[in-house]
This record gives sequence, C-alpha cells and structure tokens, in this order.
Amino acid sequence: MNKILRMIVVLTVIGIISGAILALVYTWSLPKIVENETKATDAAIFTVLPDTKTYKKVVALDLTYYDCFDESGAKVGTAILCQGNGYQGAITLMVGVNADFTEFTGMTVLDQVETPGLGAKIGSSDFERQFNGLVTKPPIEYVTGGGTVHLPNEIQAITGATISSAAVVNIINKTVKEWLQIK
Amino acid sequence: MELLIIFISASIVNNFVLSYFLGICPFLGVSNKLEKAVSMGLATTFVMVLAAMVTWLINNLILIPFNLPFLQYVSFIIVIASLVQFVEMFIRKTSPALYRALGIFLPLITTNCAILGLALMSVLREYSFIQSLVFGLAAGLGFTLALCIMAGIREELELAPIPEPFKGAPITLIIAGLLALAFMGFAGLITG
Amino acid sequence: MATNKVKRTLFFEFTKGLWNESPVFRQLLGMCPTLAVTTSAINGFSMGLATTFVLVCSSTIISAIRKLIPSQVRIASYVVIIATFVTVADLFLKANFADISKALGPFVPLIVVNCLILGRAEAYASRHSPLPAFVDALGMGIGFTFALLVLGTIRQIFGTGTVFGLISFEPWVIMILPAGAFITLGFLIALINFLKQSTKKKELAPACEVK
Repeated sequence: MNKILRMIVVLTVIGIISGAILALVYTWSLPKIVENETKATDAAIFTVLPDTKTYKKVVALDLTYYDCFDESGAKVGTAILCQGNGYQGAITLMVGVNADFTEFTGMTVLDQVETPGLGAKIGSSDFERQFNGLVTKPPIEYVTGGGTVHLPNEIQAITGATISSAAVVNIINKTVKEWLQIK
Repeated sequence: MELLIIFISASIVNNFVLSYFLGICPFLGVSNKLEKAVSMGLATTFVMVLAAMVTWLINNLILIPFNLPFLQYVSFIIVIASLVQFVEMFIRKTSPALYRALGIFLPLITTNCAILGLALMSVLREYSFIQSLVFGLAAGLGFTLALCIMAGIREELELAPIPEPFKGAPITLIIAGLLALAFMGFAGLITG
Repeated sequence: MATNKVKRTLFFEFTKGLWNESPVFRQLLGMCPTLAVTTSAINGFSMGLATTFVLVCSSTIISAIRKLIPSQVRIASYVVIIATFVTVADLFLKANFADISKALGPFVPLIVVNCLILGRAEAYASRHSPLPAFVDALGMGIGFTFALLVLGTIRQIFGTGTVFGLISFEPWVIMILPAGAFITLGFLIALINFLKQSTKKKELAPACEVK
C-alpha cells in the first residue's frame, strides 16, 4: 500500500512540475512564435506585391487571401494563399495579382516536400521570378524540355521536374479560379 | 477516394521507414529473420492503429478545448507507453500463444519513433478521426512491408561473401539505401 | 589522490562518448534523426545541439532524483522528464530560430523517443550521482553532435556539388535523398570498423610475438 502510494505521489509531483515548467515556457515563447509567423506572412506578401504597406486578411470558404494596400490606402492587389498536391506531397504557395486583375505580380513557394535537387527547384528564385508579369487570362501554361516561352501566359517548366512545375501551375490556376468566384 | 490516397501515400509512396526514417531502430534490429519481422510488423501495426485513435481523441477532446498544445508531446508519449503496456497485459491474459510470438517485441515498440511520429503527423495534417485511423493502419502495414523485404534480403545475405568491415550494420544500411531508391519509383503515383 | 582519481574517471566518462562508445557509429542509437536531418551540416549540427541539451538536462535531473523514484514507475517518470525538456527545446527553437525549427520539422519532438536518451537514463544516470551523469551525458551528446555534423557535411558537399564554394562539380542528387543517407552512413560505419580492425591488429601483434 505504502509503495503504491509512493508511486502515485512521485508520478503526480513529476507531472505537476513538468506541467508548470511547460506552461511557463509556453507563455514566454508564444508571443515570439506568433511574431515569427506574422513575419513570415509579411515577407511572403511583400515578395509577391512589393508595394504593399498594409494588408487585410480574408478567409472565405476554404480560401485565405490578403487584400493589400499602399501608403495612401489605395488597393495594390491581392495575395492569394494556394495549396495543392505536388509530386511527393502538399505544396503551399502565395501568388499576387494586381488590383484590376490583369496580371500576376509574383509567386513564392512557402512549403513543399518535392525531391531535393529536382522538384524542389520550384522554390528557387529563377523559377518563381517567371510568374512576375504573367497575364491572368488565359490560364497559365507551361513549356517543357527545350521549348521556349512565346506567349505572355507561359512559363518554362524545370528540366527533370515537369510534374512539380505542372503541379504549381495547376494549383495556381485552380485557386485563382475559385477566388474569382467568391471575390 | 481521399482515404485511398492517404492509404497509398502512407504505406508505399511515403513509406515511414524508407522516406521518413521513422522506426529505423527496429528496422535494423529485428530484420534478420523473416518470421520475426512479420511478428514485429504486425505488433507495431496493431499499436499504431490504437495509438492513432487514442491520440486523436486526446488531442481533439482535451488538448484543443482546454488550449494546452504544449502538453502534446508529454501526453502522447505517456499514452503510447501505457497503451503498449496495456496491450502486453491484454495479450498475455487472452492468448498465451500470441503473447509468446509477439511478447518480446512489445516493450521495444514504446521507443519506436514511428508511433509518436504518426501521432504528431496526423495532428499536423489535421486529419479527421477516420483519416487518422486509415493513416495509422497504412503506416503500420508500410512498416511491416519494409521490414519483411529487408528480412528476406538479409536471410539471403548470410550466404554472401561480404568484406569484413561491411558485415552487420553497414551492409544493412546500404541495402536500405537501395530499397529507398527503389521505393522512389512510386513517387508521383498520387498526383492530380 | 582521491580527487585525482575522480578527475580521471570523469575524463574517461567524458571521452568514451566521443569515440569508443560513440552513440551513432558504435552503438547505432538514435538512428532516425541521424539519417533524417543530415541533409546539410547546419541541420545536423542544430539537431545534435538540441539532443545534447535534452540529454544533459534529463540525465542530470534523473540522476539527482534517482533515489526518490520507485523502480516500477521509473520508465514513466523518465519519459515525462524527457518529454518536458523536449517541449522546452522545441518552443525555444520555434521562438528564436524559426528557420531551423522549420527545417528539422517533426524530428524535434521525436527526440523524445530517441533511444540514446532513454538508454543513457536507464543505463547510466539512474545508477550514478549527478556530476558523472552530467559529464557522461555531455560526452555522449557531443559524440552524437559530431557524428551528425560529419554526416551532414559529407552529404552537403556531394549533394550540392561544392566544397565551401572552392571546388565545384556535378551535384549528386542521391546524396540529399533518403537513399543517400542510408548509403553514406553504411560506408562511414564500414570505414570505422576497418580502422578499428587495423589498429587492433597492431596492438595485438607484439603480444602474440611474446607468446
């Protein structure tokens, strides 16, 4: 009996101390973690819409997007959070469109688990930069292999990673279409 | 359809052992005999399915409503450890034959990172209860598959002339590397 | 004299983790993070430091309270203590080093089930006083960090195709893939086995002659 009591007491005390320590550390770190997340969002929005000074987050249905404004409060465009399946897993990216929705202002990959050295190149600035200034209609197309880009809605797929490149294009086209319906 | 994708993804395309490196210790430790590998794989699968269910309930019924995300790791590992203990006692009482086959592997499962990894991943991916269940089953079967393939190869390997420094762990690791390469062929199976 | 002896044993406890009982190369403990996060030197190094932190803290605490814990619930108590420090490390990384925390992903929480930590708690900390336990944990932690750093550096050099920007060659993509991790570690352990065998022969040779 004494033994069982001791077991219970020891485990309870350890549990309480551990809980207390964690609660303390958690309250200390939470503001910093939130700040880091905001910073990451800020950076992504600033990449796709460089003129942004303030933004407003909108969540509608399954979509999250940010209406962006410059210093004078005029709308510069919208940054849309896009998500979908890549070659090996989910890809999350942010794409910017200008205020009158005629062209894309930029794209940045936030999260991806594509093959390092091949598909993961969708996160490289060379690939991302291709989306700057693409027209929004018709939908984005990709050119494979040695083909060159002719039309204003085309990008060059990464050699050896066509599926990942195609996945990015499909994710953007699909999300933008959904966004247009609820805008 | 979505469940099928989760199943194929967790069991084959993103095999826990060969692409997430979860559960390497038992993978290297008990993969020398096919029979042992099957038992270990099935015992792990069983605990995985149970763990997926229980950790989902804890996370969604206790940790999220009471805003205690920082207790996640502590509570999950305790649940897994007690689950393993419970399964061990249950099997010992109900089926001595099964206990003799699986018994010695059960304590090892507590420190199998595949189980905790599974629980954490289904939280991260915000799976529903059913999805977690399928995920647990698929991951367990994928683990069993990798273990059995490895065991099959290692049984043959005992007859092969391996250079002295490569004997044991090194050759096993290199074979695991080749297996991982082979499993990469499945990538891209679930796009679209 | 007595202090001298203590010092020597402490030094021994410290160095055994670095080479003779190296957790990764010799004991094959903690393989999961070893293989998963060593895609680059910095990732391997951060993972090693996080593990060392947890190992040192939990070993010292466990050794300090070892006489209070009834042996039936010792594993449960160890696990709770370890999980607490892992959560602390995880929150700290998330708050101050968001990039590293993102790169290491789920492998920070998985330090909880790193067999190295529970292994040291059970095999060493629960039987020794806090000072040796601290030194033993520190040695093992540094040995682990060193192994991860070596593996990370090799994979980074071959995977990115440059040696610190000095020499560049065609990158071997396989080295940063999962397969590369297994193969690199396999060859490293074989190399260490080979070195060990050749030094052993040299040491044994004179003894044989005397006989």
